[in-house]
Amino acid sequence: MALLGALRVCLGAALCVSVISCGGGGGGGGGGTTTPPPPPPTVNTTSVIVDQGPATGSGSVNTLFTSVTVCVPGSTTSCQTIDHIQVDTGSYGLRLLAPVLTLTLPVEKLSNGNSLAECTQFVDGYSWGPVASADLTIAGETAKSLPVQVIGDSRFTTVPSTCSSTGTQEDTVAKFGANGILGIGPFQLDCGDCDTVVHPQYYACATAANCVETLVPTAMQVPNPVTLFAADNNGIIIDLPTVAPAGAVTVSGQLIFGIDTQSNNQSGTQTVLTVDGNAELLMTFNGQTLAMSFIDSGSNGIYFADSSISTCTTTGLTTFYCPANTLSLGLSIQGANGVMVNNLVFTVGNLETMLNADPTFNVFPELAGTLPAGNAGSFDYGLAFFYGKRVAVAVEGNKTSVGTGPYIAF
Amino acid sequence: MSDNRSNEPNGAAPLKYLRRITMPLIRSGEIRIAALSGALLIASLGPRIAFATLGEAEMSVHSDVAQLNASIKSSQDRAGYRVHEIQLPGGTMLREFVAPDGNVFAVAWNGPTKPNLRQVLGKHFDTYVSAPKPKFADRRHVNFQQGDLVVQAGGHMRALSGRAYLAGAIPAGVNLGDLH
Repeated sequence: MALLGALRVCLGAALCVSVISCGGGGGGGGGGTTTPPPPPPTVNTTSVIVDQGPATGSGSVNTLFTSVTVCVPGSTTSCQTIDHIQVDTGSYGLRLLAPVLTLTLPVEKLSNGNSLAECTQFVDGYSWGPVASADLTIAGETAKSLPVQVIGDSRFTTVPSTCSSTGTQEDTVAKFGANGILGIGPFQLDCGDCDTVVHPQYYACATAANCVETLVPTAMQVPNPVTLFAADNNGIIIDLPTVAPAGAVTVSGQLIFGIDTQSNNQSGTQTVLTVDGNAELLMTFNGQTLAMSFIDSGSNGIYFADSSISTCTTTGLTTFYCPANTLSLGLSIQGANGVMVNNLVFTVGNLETMLNADPTFNVFPELAGTLPAGNAGSFDYGLAFFYGKRVAVAVEGNKTSVGTGPYIAF
Repeated sequence: MSDNRSNEPNGAAPLKYLRRITMPLIRSGEIRIAALSGALLIASLGPRIAFATLGEAEMSVHSDVAQLNASIKSSQDRAGYRVHEIQLPGGTMLREFVAPDGNVFAVAWNGPTKPNLRQVLGKHFDTYVSAPKPKFADRRHVNFQQGDLVVQAGGHMRALSGRAYLAGAIPAGVNLGDLH
């Protein structure tokens, strides 16, 4: 098993060197005929970068990417490494854009023989495509026969009306802004109750043109991929350096798998904030108690409502803040476990000034945007929160030395 | 796509009739009966009924309830408008705000999935979905305005919220912050 795992990983060129250097990773352990020495630890870190996004995209800011290697299940030759996969702690599951996928991944079949497809609902639109099975390798970690969504798959071009009626379709790299997305938030699955309640999310397809909403067993749903790793499967850590206030062209850091499972992912004295049933926290800003707040690597700014701060006047930017002078503001965050972080200071810059300073920048730690008053009750602290921090996200039901997921710690 | 809404002229007359008979029931507080009778009547009228919500008459609330296989959880009079709270089968809550002139001027939602926006935005849906993606968009925010139509949304996977309203139709004195 371990040998096979090593071979498979090495087909993904980008990851080959690191895997060889550690002797093939901890692909499973069993199967040896003699008692081996303790295996070297699995490589559990991979690099992440904030840059302009995929070549065929239209540019992005404050968007974190990594690369993954996927294989047809069981194959060591039908594999592909895909770059510019967005790293998202605000969603769950690996989703790949079919236009960049060169493999044909087998579509999951429900017990009645129907193919399983998904309508993934994001705030700004939906992504439609089949749920397929893939062997995922990232760093030295492997999730075998992982349910993944293939977005924009040419085998399933007919979008059911209950899906298309939820908004704008995002099934190309340009519209999606990434070659795929790696959802590694604090929950296990991309749906809380799709095994017992029908949503316009999972669909049974008797034919590709005839898909209807369906219940789906949890084992077939698209999971947080970390939960299917053999080890280091209780959460993740994102470690990014501090960024200069004016911004940067790129910033690189590490995505580390597991918490308290290896020497490089030990918990320390950080604050542990348990998240609630919606993966949310209670933040207090400017005297307002905002119970639907969250920290999210998938948000590209710091989003909150404050009518006293000037917004930008440039066309297309009017929902972002453009204060005359940079503002330092205070924020308190409370976890569902009652733990408080008091007076965390964040900075709001002038977006027009930032963009004029250097048009090549993709990293803006002080970029902030408005939330409409009707969405009050929320403070959305995006990727800027992660700059200069080491942030752990523990998956629900998993223990670490400092708590039980779902939690975020920093 | 080009569905029942093309028959709006045919549906207009029955709508007025339905509104007359169901509204007093709501006012008397017998919400479940009102919802049930509305749903049954709508169902009996079949596909000729005009549906759509935003900008339509209050009766379209009941059309939504029927089309979405949902139930009215509460109907509440507030200063300057009325709110119908509709529980969708998947758990999402949809609220429809009715002005004194009897028209729906705003809708709002929150839950694990979005409501059928083609249904609740009605004729405004196509305007919304055909707009190009704005600069610096991410997957967590919508802040759309075109003419009178405003669509705003936020949240993240498994907890989505949003609202849409017609800026020119908001009754005097209504606070935008209350429309959620």
